[in-house]
Amino acid sequence: MSSVIELENLEVRLGDRTILDRLNGSLTGLCIGLLGPNGSGKSTLINTLLGFYPPSGGTARIFGRDIRGNISELRSTIGFMPESDAFIAEMSGIRFVRYMAEISGLPAREAMERAHEAFFYVGLGEVRYRKVGTYSLGMKQLVKLAQVLVHGPKLLLLDEPTNGLDPEARQRMLQLIREIRDTGKAHIVISSHLLHDIEECCDEVLILKQGRVAALCNLEEERRANKKFLELEINHENGFVEAISRLGCECASFAGGRLKIVLPEDIAVRQLYQLAAEHTVQIRRMNYRRDSLEDIFLKAMEGKPEARETASGRL
Amino acid sequence: MAVYKRTYKVYEGALTPSWSRFLVLSRFSASSLFDSRRFTAFTFLCLMPVFIAAFCIYAVHSSTVQLMLGTTLKAGNIINNVSFWVFLQIQVGLSFILALWAVPDMMARDFSNHALQLYLSRPLSRTEYLLGKVSAMVILLSCITWIPGLLLFGLQAQLEGNGWGGENLWLMASIVIGCLLWIAVIALLAMALSVWVKWRIAASALMVAVFFVLPGFGEIAGSILGTQWGKLLDLRYVLTLIWTRLFRIPLHYIHGWDYDGIPLWSAWAAVLGVCIISLLLLNRRLKAREVERG
Repeated sequence: MSSVIELENLEVRLGDRTILDRLNGSLTGLCIGLLGPNGSGKSTLINTLLGFYPPSGGTARIFGRDIRGNISELRSTIGFMPESDAFIAEMSGIRFVRYMAEISGLPAREAMERAHEAFFYVGLGEVRYRKVGTYSLGMKQLVKLAQVLVHGPKLLLLDEPTNGLDPEARQRMLQLIREIRDTGKAHIVISSHLLHDIEECCDEVLILKQGRVAALCNLEEERRANKKFLELEINHENGFVEAISRLGCECASFAGGRLKIVLPEDIAVRQLYQLAAEHTVQIRRMNYRRDSLEDIFLKAMEGKPEARETASGRL
Repeated sequence: MAVYKRTYKVYEGALTPSWSRFLVLSRFSASSLFDSRRFTAFTFLCLMPVFIAAFCIYAVHSSTVQLMLGTTLKAGNIINNVSFWVFLQIQVGLSFILALWAVPDMMARDFSNHALQLYLSRPLSRTEYLLGKVSAMVILLSCITWIPGLLLFGLQAQLEGNGWGGENLWLMASIVIGCLLWIAVIALLAMALSVWVKWRIAASALMVAVFFVLPGFGEIAGSILGTQWGKLLDLRYVLTLIWTRLFRIPLHYIHGWDYDGIPLWSAWAAVLGVCIISLLLLNRRLKAREVERG
């Protein structure tokens, strides 16, 4: 799969501080999560990709194009939703979004048409003629999303999109992000410190710590890999453990009838049920051992950030 | 993306030329200003002296009007460089109020809620952003200064005839140069101060201070040090000095005014300095993200 964003020894210094320290990695996912504690450099990375901060070393490429020298061209393919408030309070919602579309290069007629569409798409169709300053916090977040979508960019950079939203509005925002992801027409980068948001939407995650890559992992692969680990609880053993070992599974038994099993590629779960039936064993509980994003994040936070020379960031 | 389909769609249609994008800012900025009825009314009020001047020019050339007014006037003695100078002084005064109203309002909209980052995350550079805002002001202020000035010049030349237009062609250049100089100073200074303080009221107050309080400090400094250079802090003085020379105003027309306080070159240098400082300030503060050093 071709890279959406490639980081090559990317370094950003602001004043005397090194905010991003030689980042390396290739991000290929449809929806990429940027995770990290406050001050880890997530927003700085997004701002650097947008050309707001010049790299002091290395570079980054978006869709194969270097951000140095191509930033204006790249910006026309990017939609940016900042973390903080960003709107023109005195303008009506529709006029504001249309304005942003026209600045992106859409002719006036198309800009107006797509502004209406964007408003309906994010669910604010009914309030589009109200001034943005009168919107609630949730509405303002959705207006920010509408101005991201209006010019139909191929890369969406969303900085903390669920900030300050109530649970219902948050779900709506995540639902919209998933819908856009599922169309496959745009890549999304979400910066957040909320693991749950990232886990719900993203298929790849870049974890930053102190301005360095702490981990870069493909959540889809992780999820697939996790399907091989099973935790079972049975009523009694009755030769079942030996039978599944003969089947080719690695198995460890624990007190209380608990079993931990590693399934080979060619063995299906259905076969375990068949064996259990043959040995008159009841399977009372079966879980995939899920290495959650939280585990991955905590592991990344415990470990040292990437070694400068060799890091690819992959877990 | 369509309303009825509710699905995300990448835009693949035609785009406007990138060089013309700054005009979108000009258009939206100007139209936002005219959303205010009071602002629209005031702009029309600024055009009233133009209509009065046009009537005066017509009146001095029309024997019928003079008969009705019961007076006899000779156009050549009345309509000259001084009358254009007086007319433009009035327009400049009105344009100052207009700029005081419009620029902080226009800039504060973008700065009060951090909208600047949305502009600059699109294919629009800081220069284009500035160009868009400046051009909105240039168009607006031109409409009440040099454009009516030239129209009145044309009217006078037409009605006067006898080669008056050709003889006074230099006056056309004076009108354009003088007004554009004023517009450049007022627009850049107002923008720089608005971007610096990012607060509409404070920006307007600072503008007033620069034009009316700073000269006081200049006078005090000049008195203490026994020098005339303090006048360089008085932008009104500096600009009037340039204008009087541009319009070739005879000394006796400006009684009580220190015509030779500072040399002309220093007045031009002061104006240029103000423009450069304003641009430097804009370059420093007009950023999508501010970096806290340390």
